[in-house]
Amino acid sequence: MSAYLTKRISYMLIILLAASLLIFSLYALTPGDYISNNIKLSPERKAELREIYGLNKPLLERYGIWMKNAIHGDLGYSLAQQKPVLTLFNEYIWNSFLLAIVSTFLTWLIAVIVGVVSAYKQYSWFDTLMTILIFAAMSLPSFFIGLFLIKILAVDLKWLPPGGMLTTGTNAVGMAYFKEVIHHMTLPVIVMTLLGVGSLSRYFRSSMIDVIKQDYIRTARAKGLKESKVLFRHALRNALLPAITLVGFELPALFGGSIIIEKIFNWPGIGQLYMQSFGLRDYPLLMGFTMLLAILTVIGTLISDVLYQIADPRVRLH
Amino acid sequence: MKKGVYLLTSLLIVGSLVLSACSDQKDTASTSGSTTQTEQGSKDQPAAAPGGESGLNEPFTAADMSKLPAVAKQRTDTIIVGLTDPSGAFTPYFTQSGYDGNVNSLLFGSLVTVDEKGLPIPDLAEKWDISDDQLTYTYHLRKDLKFSDGSPMTADDVAFTWTIQFDKAYDGDSMVPTLPVKGAQEYKEGKAASISGIKIIDPQTISITLEKPNATALVMLGDKVLSKAYYGKDYKFGQLEYIKKLHSTPVGNGPYKLEKFIPGQEVRFVANENYYKGKPKTEHFIYKTSEGDTWQYLETGEIDYSSFSATTENIDKLKSLGFVNIIPYTPSTYGYLQVNLEHEALKDKKVRQALTYGLDRQSIYVDANQGAGSVANIPSSPISWAYTEDGINPYKFDTEKAKQLLEEAGWKEGAGGIREKDGKQLSIHFLGSKSKQTDIFIAVAKENFQAIGVKFEPEVFADFNSLVSKMESGDYDLVSFSTAMLTDPSDGLVQFLDGEIKAYDNPKLKELYEKGLATSDIEERKKVYKEIFQLLNDELPIIFTNYKKTVYGYNGRIDNLAVSPFVGLANSLPDWSLKPAQ
Repeated sequence: MSAYLTKRISYMLIILLAASLLIFSLYALTPGDYISNNIKLSPERKAELREIYGLNKPLLERYGIWMKNAIHGDLGYSLAQQKPVLTLFNEYIWNSFLLAIVSTFLTWLIAVIVGVVSAYKQYSWFDTLMTILIFAAMSLPSFFIGLFLIKILAVDLKWLPPGGMLTTGTNAVGMAYFKEVIHHMTLPVIVMTLLGVGSLSRYFRSSMIDVIKQDYIRTARAKGLKESKVLFRHALRNALLPAITLVGFELPALFGGSIIIEKIFNWPGIGQLYMQSFGLRDYPLLMGFTMLLAILTVIGTLISDVLYQIADPRVRLH
Repeated sequence: MKKGVYLLTSLLIVGSLVLSACSDQKDTASTSGSTTQTEQGSKDQPAAAPGGESGLNEPFTAADMSKLPAVAKQRTDTIIVGLTDPSGAFTPYFTQSGYDGNVNSLLFGSLVTVDEKGLPIPDLAEKWDISDDQLTYTYHLRKDLKFSDGSPMTADDVAFTWTIQFDKAYDGDSMVPTLPVKGAQEYKEGKAASISGIKIIDPQTISITLEKPNATALVMLGDKVLSKAYYGKDYKFGQLEYIKKLHSTPVGNGPYKLEKFIPGQEVRFVANENYYKGKPKTEHFIYKTSEGDTWQYLETGEIDYSSFSATTENIDKLKSLGFVNIIPYTPSTYGYLQVNLEHEALKDKKVRQALTYGLDRQSIYVDANQGAGSVANIPSSPISWAYTEDGINPYKFDTEKAKQLLEEAGWKEGAGGIREKDGKQLSIHFLGSKSKQTDIFIAVAKENFQAIGVKFEPEVFADFNSLVSKMESGDYDLVSFSTAMLTDPSDGLVQFLDGEIKAYDNPKLKELYEKGLATSDIEERKKVYKEIFQLLNDELPIIFTNYKKTVYGYNGRIDNLAVSPFVGLANSLPDWSLKPAQ
């Protein structure tokens, strides 16, 4: 195992190095830079500023400087936000994480239940209804569901706040604060869950259907086991195995924020910040964030590989 | 299966109904998004001001205050206003986004501010003198001025504020460093320990000397004042890094103090008891971060004040809310099409005039924006003191006139109805940012230009930076832009002189521009700008397109609200007060 990990981690470093080069060149080749964005500046002042920010240096040198700092744990200073990139991450990522972790949990929970029941009662009225609802939810764009729910639940019925994370001007602390955040996150979580549940439950359904047809399920039933035991102990466990691969992919999504949802619900998350920074060409922040996602993706795949081995002894890592 | 089909169909029908009901919301979102982008960097302008033209000329008073949402009724000492994206760096001259500028304008007072016409009026300085040679400006500060931490504000602080903007490490976008201040160049190059043009006469009096007269200097130099004791404690020439640490904890001298900044959510202010005009009437003020569409926040009472494009639809909707007062507003900007003067065909003034005549600007910018608005013909907003229509050609839409001018310029009709000269077709490659306005422009312009025999090739960019790079590569004929906020009439002219518009070189204009800056006498300057506007209106180095119009909708409980096109709500905010809820 440890030999495997050493090998895997050294591969990961190589992948990340390649990724950093790719990320850097991608942003360096995007037309326009932070300075060209400000139409008020005269051409001379633009040149002066490029000099101050080091944007006039050769590409390779800029990459070298960026990498050197990054290895020392310094992702640079955001030009537009006037703060160190890592401070900004700390200010925004946890808000995104909160939304993501809750909606991911709900998505998985609902998807497993719906998937199992639909598979077990294949072609029943429940299965048909779920299929229709799921495809309806999947085919509606997120901004549409989002705006629709704001219109109904927030503007017309006034049950939930239309956006943000806190009531403006609130001084709530402790439990009251906690309740306020929950109140505000309900709408975005509903939308995110609604959008996520569709594909995942289809995935569980088909994987469950495959498993139910296996010989060992028939054996279990023939042994006279209770149906619930057959379903949850024998069938579900095996049906969930391939889903472990998905767990790894969820890791970057947990921290990556959701650009559209955060924008619609005015949620102070990293996705919104990223989108604004992209419009402004705030390269230190953009590169830092993309790099962070690359790191999380690589770690996520490692975690799912290791988990797979723990869950399924048939799999050998070497 | 039949049942399923039925259900699916009914879902679809319901869905499409809902979609059409919500479509107006999405439209406003997209227009406001794009305007914010072209107006980035414009300071002190309330954000998220969508474009459009007005059908409202008079302020409108809320008809039914009982409709005010409970959330807004409960507030007794707090006013909430939406602001797109304050970043949290609140040091004037060092902020990188216009939204932080909005925040700064409440935290910091200026020596001189401007009235609703753009003319200078006293603020922290009670008066000023300008020497007869128009070179030396002397500011007389009010007595007993204090910063929000209670420390006194003196001429020393003003000198410090001016000086650091000439530091070689200064990376903000203040225009002060472009002024020809005496001794500034030596300071910037490190040859002098201080700027020789700045003289502290006594703790309440300071003067600054320029090498060349510049009428904009009075207001530009009379801007916000930083505390030397706070911001200048660690200052050494060439090193401004330390100031970054102070961005989040401003010490100002404006009507409000920063209470708390919650990233991505709120900027909370509390009244400054040390403000020279006395503590503002409303104890708390909040800028709530709200991107794009703010309808739902105004409707639910989460914010008290918001700006909207002045379309008939928006105005009707605002009126129907019942609890909203509405005031019309014209931003101090102008829209234009930048013309590629390096292209042979467009070098000819007649061709540029023909394109202007041939373009139905009335339909594009006025009628398509729901029957209200105005067409621009000079580089100045109609609210400026220098604005004039005297001797200005309105270039009224006239296809025949356009054709005639093209004939005169030697462009004759060729194959497929497209005009040709020396075997080359007359075609226009247009670049625009993705927005509803651009879509309208393209649809109408395509037809208009076809009618006068000009081939029209539009290209739309979702991203402003990409558009600018494409333009910088020279591969364009026309690009659609809007200026940043203009305070002085000369602000709108800089682009003709600083090389921004390539291949435009007019000695006459240069001479007039200098003349316009050489005196501070407003009547004198008006004459000069009239001449300049007439010249540019005839030459058309760019094609002037439109002026925007906006309306502000605000909670009817707020009294004494006024918005200045030049300083936003900063001047009137200290007087805002909340009437008791009904």
